[in-house]
Amino acid sequence: MSLIVQAHGHLIIFVKKMNDVIAKSKDITLLEILDRALEKGIVISGDVVISVADVDLVYLGLKVLLSSVETMENLRGAPIEGAMQEPT
Amino acid sequence: MEKEIIYLYCVTDKTPALKDIAHLTNKLRPISYNGLYAIAGKVKKDEFSVQALSKNLANLRWIKAKANLHEKVIEGIMKKGSVIPFKFPTLFNSEDNLKKMLKKHAQKFQVHLKGLAGKEEWGIKIYCDMDKLRKALIREDKESLNIDKEINASTPGKAYFLKKKKLGFLDTSARKKISEYGQDSFDSLSRQSVKAQINKLLPKEVTEREDDMVLNSAFLVDKKRIKEFIKIVYNLNSKYKDKGLEFNCTGPWPPYNFCEKDE
Repeated sequence: MSLIVQAHGHLIIFVKKMNDVIAKSKDITLLEILDRALEKGIVISGDVVISVADVDLVYLGLKVLLSSVETMENLRGAPIEGAMQEPT
Repeated sequence: MEKEIIYLYCVTDKTPALKDIAHLTNKLRPISYNGLYAIAGKVKKDEFSVQALSKNLANLRWIKAKANLHEKVIEGIMKKGSVIPFKFPTLFNSEDNLKKMLKKHAQKFQVHLKGLAGKEEWGIKIYCDMDKLRKALIREDKESLNIDKEINASTPGKAYFLKKKKLGFLDTSARKKISEYGQDSFDSLSRQSVKAQINKLLPKEVTEREDDMVLNSAFLVDKKRIKEFIKIVYNLNSKYKDKGLEFNCTGPWPPYNFCEKDE
């Protein structure tokens, strides 16, 4: 009961046939959207350029306990050792 | 002074059906140039000026609403054809400025949109329940069982050190395994994809989950191969379930992870 597939359209039916759980959690969606729309997407200088530090504020906002970008950077270094990740 | 700012969602090369997404926001309009359509909206200066943004970007409720709208608009456009999604928020002081940008990059956009035709972005995040993984390792590993026997036969002092040794040993093998499982999963999924990308892991404070994110990845998949791709996710999930891994698969997404960065 652990595969979470979120799909728009016909794919949901396909996965259901494989007896899997389809979770449409709003929180997952938000995390996924922020992980894309704010972190990725094409960057072409518009008239307003938002810096990376400002974007980090979004993640800070996600759990109001954190107060500085520095803390965020520390956390970024914290994920489990051994796992693959994009070089920073 | 203009009270409105131009907000850019995405660029597409198919005539957009804006009436399908008009219920999301009524201020959308396509700005076209040479077969390209920039899907833009008007936003208020008191919300999107640099000053206002520095305040609003710290307000989670505001971001939720705006990022969600950003995504929904682009998803609507995506139904008709390929899109180049822009980073939230990309803003222009006037339509003229946006048009200039569109002209300047038109050729690059056209080439890129052609390359994206018939493809979708899918996201795979893998989480690991470390306790479950350690338990699986203990079950499988002889060395750890040998230490257990030694611990039972030892004096309390020696047993303490042996227990520490066992924990250290477990941590090392857990790290190795996570790396191995992640690589295997990423490679298997890459083989069904046109492009693949590994992203930064998100900390628990952001995921709000008990288990650790061990892979954050995105794949550009040919629409004709989506079934095969999902099937591999399903198989990997079954394969690694006992090791504490959970696969979280989402899509289709606008190709946020597969847009060239501006030089």
